[in-house]
Amino acid sequence: MSRILLLFSRASYRAEAFVAAARRMDIEVTVGSNHASILAGLAPGATLTLGVTDVHRSAATIGRFAADYPLAAIVTAEDDFAPVASEASEALGLRYHGSEAVRSARNKALMRQLLSADGMQSPWFHVASVEDHPTTFAAEAAYPCVLKPLALSASRGVIRADTPEEFSLAWTRILDILEQRDASRRSGGARDEILIEEYLPGLEVALEGIVVEGELRTLAILDKPDPMEGPFFEETILVTPSRLPDDVRTEIVSTVQRAVSVLGLLDGPIHAELRVDGEQLSILEIAPRSIGGRCSTILRFEPEATLEDLILRHALGLPIHEYACVPDAAGVMMLPIPRAGVLREVGGTETALRVPGVEGLEIAIPVGQKVMPLPEGNRYLGFLFAGGKTPARVEAALREAHAKLEVIIEPEA
Amino acid sequence: MSDRSKSPVEFTELAKDTVLRFMDMQGEDGLAVRVKVASPSPLDPRYEISIIEADDKCAEDVVFDGNGFEVVMEPESAKLLDGASIDWVETLNESGFKVENPNLAPIGSKPLEGPMTDRVRQAIDQFVNPGVAQHGGHVTLVDVRDNIVYIQMGGGCQGCGMASVTLSQGIERILRDQVPEIEGIEDVTNHQGGENPYYEASK
Repeated sequence: MSRILLLFSRASYRAEAFVAAARRMDIEVTVGSNHASILAGLAPGATLTLGVTDVHRSAATIGRFAADYPLAAIVTAEDDFAPVASEASEALGLRYHGSEAVRSARNKALMRQLLSADGMQSPWFHVASVEDHPTTFAAEAAYPCVLKPLALSASRGVIRADTPEEFSLAWTRILDILEQRDASRRSGGARDEILIEEYLPGLEVALEGIVVEGELRTLAILDKPDPMEGPFFEETILVTPSRLPDDVRTEIVSTVQRAVSVLGLLDGPIHAELRVDGEQLSILEIAPRSIGGRCSTILRFEPEATLEDLILRHALGLPIHEYACVPDAAGVMMLPIPRAGVLREVGGTETALRVPGVEGLEIAIPVGQKVMPLPEGNRYLGFLFAGGKTPARVEAALREAHAKLEVIIEPEA
Repeated sequence: MSDRSKSPVEFTELAKDTVLRFMDMQGEDGLAVRVKVASPSPLDPRYEISIIEADDKCAEDVVFDGNGFEVVMEPESAKLLDGASIDWVETLNESGFKVENPNLAPIGSKPLEGPMTDRVRQAIDQFVNPGVAQHGGHVTLVDVRDNIVYIQMGGGCQGCGMASVTLSQGIERILRDQVPEIEGIEDVTNHQGGENPYYEASK
């Protein structure tokens, strides 16, 4: 029986969906993670402990493991393990993005350089060191601009500045975020760079796809109907199919395909985020992974399959061309944390679930835990799911259900 | 299909009175009570009991004599409800029909006994719990039914971002190894209620 190595960080929401997909395909699974399995000794071959930061060492560990347990594919759910997955896949001759391409895609500054060099629309940018004094950059920057810590993900620490004063405040705030224990651990110590780039106006969209031998197979384009204008860039609602005109969607696909080619992404999932401002399309990010959180839940395919099914099928060399996203609309709302404190109660959940079109609600943070909104926080309160005939109805259902929730957060004692 | 034999479901006197009272309130002729198994899952068996009008009956329904009113059921519900009893309960906080159904007893509602159950419990105590205790976790056997094992995770495992991995890559493999006739393992933990998860999911 084929064996697949699934790589998850210990903070992953994705493990359950990928393991379930592997079971549906009746393949052996090994889970590789920076979580040391406490039952590993009793279940040989089931888990593999791997570090995120020492890529060579982790890739070598996978190589030794594969000598005892031959691997048919390596799949990672998150960015963190993409370098390990690419280097190990190259060594074992498995299908995945190459390690140079993964490095380029994960480093926003390098990605921008490569896309600009190819003539693609890209915001101006500058990479600064946290050791630098912000005054020089603040004086030289064009406004509005956005500051992004290169080591963090999911909009954490991303702040818009409209003036030099706001720039300096944002800089200080980012340094404080990078000092947080989990941020420092996640970035593996590589917390020394801040990307300063042009603020791009317009709508934000996401494209979910799988690259097959360098060719982009678009699975879905998702609209983000909430304005993403700052000062923080919290993701809330994602709805598919996109309501943008056909010609804009076609242009989105060709722009992402071009970026895939420029970066050299070859085989595996990608998640791209773009700004659409009239006829101007700019790539904000193109990550060598699939969509994060629980958001993949809304992507359903015909014949019946999940996003995770398709990712595993492709990794194992099985065809995916016959799968298409179901035509009905679907959406997810990543529930924002309204304020810092201690979560005491999330009321109104039954009422929210009764809103027509709402298909599920998952509160991800247990009552009694400390919560922190963006830009310092790194978690969502939970996820709300909806489906319907049109994207507009789905969006309305998500907003109505969200309005029914009563989130009680008390100040920390 | 019509079958006026005695209902496979027994209504208590209070439940009967309540059904008749509801029918009186509607003031129409030909009313009946429909009893349906809305969800047969042993994790959360659910029932629907409603007063229906004569033209709400379907051809495939089976109709029983409820001793004072007609009881209408879909054939599948009639099978699952054979031997069940329906009572009417009223408390300070709620009132409604309560179904006691030996065929769909919720998991954990029966004493844990039997040779397979003993072996599963022993495997959890001997192999699983000493391991998960290192992360402040523990696993409790809730039920064993039709070779499916139902477990609950607590402590550091409850709400942990890696709980599904611990289950599929650890607990399940160990239990299947120790008790090969196990056909499935279901985690019935309320992970949203975990107060101190070992790893918090965040991405």
